[in-house]
Amino acid sequence: MSQMSDRTGVIHDLGYRGYAGQRESTAALVRHLFLTGLRHAYGLGRSGRSKVLPFLLLGFSVLPAVIVVGVVTFIDADSLPLSYAAYTSQLQMLTSLFAAAQAPVLFSRDLRHRSIVLYLARPLSAALFALTRWASLAVAILAFALLPILVLYVGGLLAGLDVSEQTPDFLKAVVLQVLLASLLATITGVLASVALRRGFAVVASIVVLIVAVGVVLIVQGVADFEGIAHVGEVAGLFSPWTIHNGLAESWDAGSAIGDLDGAWPAVYVVTALGLVAAGLALLAARFTKVGAR
Amino acid sequence: MSTLVLENVSRWFGNVVAVNDVTMTVGPGVTGLLGPNGAGKTTLMAMMSGFLPPSSGTVAIDGTPVWRRTDAYRQIGLVPERELSFGYLTGRAFVRANADLHRLPDAAQATEAILGVVDMVEPAQRRIDTYSKGMRQRIKIAAALVHDPAILLLDEPFNGVDPRQRMHLMDLLRRLADEGRTVLFSSHILEEVERLARHVEVVVSGRHAASGDFGAIRRLMTDRPTRYSITSSDDRALAAALIAQTSVQAVQLRPRGGLDVQVSDLGSFATALPRLTRTQDLTLFELSPSDESLESVFSYLVAR
Amino acid sequence: MNGTIAKLALAALLGRRRFWLLVAFPVIMIGLTALVAVMAGDDEFGWQMVGLLGYPLVLPLVAILAASSVLGPEVDDGSIVYLLSKPVNRHAVAISKWVVAWVATLVVGAGSVLAAGLVVEPGEQAAAWLVASLVAGTTYSALFLALSAVTRHAVVIGLVFVLIWENLLGSIFSGVAWLSINDWGVRVGHEVSAALDDPANLAWALLASLVVTAGGVFFAGDRLRSFALTGDE
Repeated sequence: MSQMSDRTGVIHDLGYRGYAGQRESTAALVRHLFLTGLRHAYGLGRSGRSKVLPFLLLGFSVLPAVIVVGVVTFIDADSLPLSYAAYTSQLQMLTSLFAAAQAPVLFSRDLRHRSIVLYLARPLSAALFALTRWASLAVAILAFALLPILVLYVGGLLAGLDVSEQTPDFLKAVVLQVLLASLLATITGVLASVALRRGFAVVASIVVLIVAVGVVLIVQGVADFEGIAHVGEVAGLFSPWTIHNGLAESWDAGSAIGDLDGAWPAVYVVTALGLVAAGLALLAARFTKVGAR
Repeated sequence: MSTLVLENVSRWFGNVVAVNDVTMTVGPGVTGLLGPNGAGKTTLMAMMSGFLPPSSGTVAIDGTPVWRRTDAYRQIGLVPERELSFGYLTGRAFVRANADLHRLPDAAQATEAILGVVDMVEPAQRRIDTYSKGMRQRIKIAAALVHDPAILLLDEPFNGVDPRQRMHLMDLLRRLADEGRTVLFSSHILEEVERLARHVEVVVSGRHAASGDFGAIRRLMTDRPTRYSITSSDDRALAAALIAQTSVQAVQLRPRGGLDVQVSDLGSFATALPRLTRTQDLTLFELSPSDESLESVFSYLVAR
Repeated sequence: MNGTIAKLALAALLGRRRFWLLVAFPVIMIGLTALVAVMAGDDEFGWQMVGLLGYPLVLPLVAILAASSVLGPEVDDGSIVYLLSKPVNRHAVAISKWVVAWVATLVVGAGSVLAAGLVVEPGEQAAAWLVASLVAGTTYSALFLALSAVTRHAVVIGLVFVLIWENLLGSIFSGVAWLSINDWGVRVGHEVSAALDDPANLAWALLASLVVTAGGVFFAGDRLRSFALTGDE
């Protein structure tokens, strides 16, 4: 201590070494981020309390399917009382709430606490980060919607329903769910990345997902009642749920008010894909902007 | 003049004991609450300011417990570590709101007076979210002082404040104490406490480790006997050399190699040992304090 | 009731962007109701806008936003200690904050339900919806204030209550009406106009609304009395 009288400085070699070995590819990085995000959407790997809501909602949405299967078995019916797509549509409240409540988990926290800059210090672009987050949320929502109809499908087959009849319906419903999950993930993701306070992101998502669907249904009802052409179809474009239901109807997968004919199904699909693309661009721009600050 | 008394206060959160059987009396003057991060300072502060019930024991001001007694805040001015989230108010409006909440008879005059004391008259018309860290800290102190409390509690008041502002704040606290107030502030930085407080209370891992005059405690902490275990290239030669040192009280050779050394004066032992090994041409392999007691944590705290 | 606390709560409510979210979508709802009313030429669809959207969704959403704005962020980041380290009765703090949230809910939420009703047709039914929203808005704001005092997840829990319990389960099981603020309000409104449903017992609806309101505000105050300042988890 006291012998250090000559004022010189030295940085000691404590043996720290840079890592020179093989590194995982960007693809592996994305895969890990995606899986972590997916787990976090269900509260896995987070505190016990954050598991309550997703699993409670999941339980609520599977329960009716279990009951339906039970009834079908019991009365020995030869078809399900409602189609797969109709089941998804009936549970829109639960699925919307799941998407609205879990989107902030994936999209708000990194931005709000600025931990985003830590992620972006890795070889991963802001746009890719946003896309991966979106994919986690979309797959989480898809899993949420898929599980109950999978229960219906498997349970129905075990109860002796006709495989060749059920399988095409089920697959159609799954395709529609992929589109639906992409839409929900886009909308809630964009809102959550803009309104960083969790509560406000959730309320805004609910307004867009649930209140809008009510408005659309009423407008469609009016248009139908008054026999005004095209208004109902156009109105349906304003909610992911009516897009899903409209396509389900036109594709003969069941559910929804009024049917889509002519070019409308194509318009619906294009609108949905356009919405998703625009939302992804917005997300990428948002993460790039915040990450750069 | 008010006195804050803690008697056998413990606080646990589930399985974690944050504060363990602390008894202390905080009277007029500046008292520093010293301890490393996570020692339980904030928990203690929260209990002193009535924002946490002790799991056992009592916290009282002049004999009356503070928990769930809102009247206690007439005597207490609290400066929490928390950031102000009232960024949409001006500094003056915020201090004025505090004065109004205390129902001061002349709130406007009290506000101006205290803004003068903390030297914030000029920036007081700006919104709080435009303030620097030091200005926020001063406006928080102004808000805590506006009702002229007998006891001022400050949680980490110097955190993130630049050196000039820090001097300023210290002067202010010293002045407040000279007026007969009880001023208690917490810090994990020894030099801060040394410069401001004559009286210190030290907490380590939730235990009340020391209290009293700063100089006396510092001496106690460094001059206490300490045990070390040493392994070297030639233990017996080192033992012979060590016992000749006045700072060494006892040396014991361990049967399987190595030495146990008891040291009375840490400072001179620390200077002597390297010199000794060099002159004796020995090599030290290991030197570690062998009593992982409260004191050794403590000596680390002071010697770091 | 404490004027300073109320003033601060009002500043917290009005001084930020989120207030415009609070105002924006009731305004949109009124506009859409007008649109539907004009398009349909039949009042039935206009009343659907009020009875299926305005009252059961927009009103509680406004109440959730208002109640969580006056208390939520402060409890969330702990800055409520600045208000609580004062010799002010905790119940007075809760009441003052509730009054601000309550007035905001009634002005924005019940006001927009009334406006939508008037757009469809001024008369008894619009008045009935106003009465229903006054009752429900009052009760909602107290319930959500209590939730905000207890948990950081008040908004989500409030939404689960409104969407899952009141709307989803309420439409399946009629018994839910006994424990549904939505239905209590409707039942009181039914006294004004028979166009509204009669889902529960009137005395029960009034009593339950009163108990939840008083209990909610009292509970919020009680929670503030035992507000514990802990570190950052």
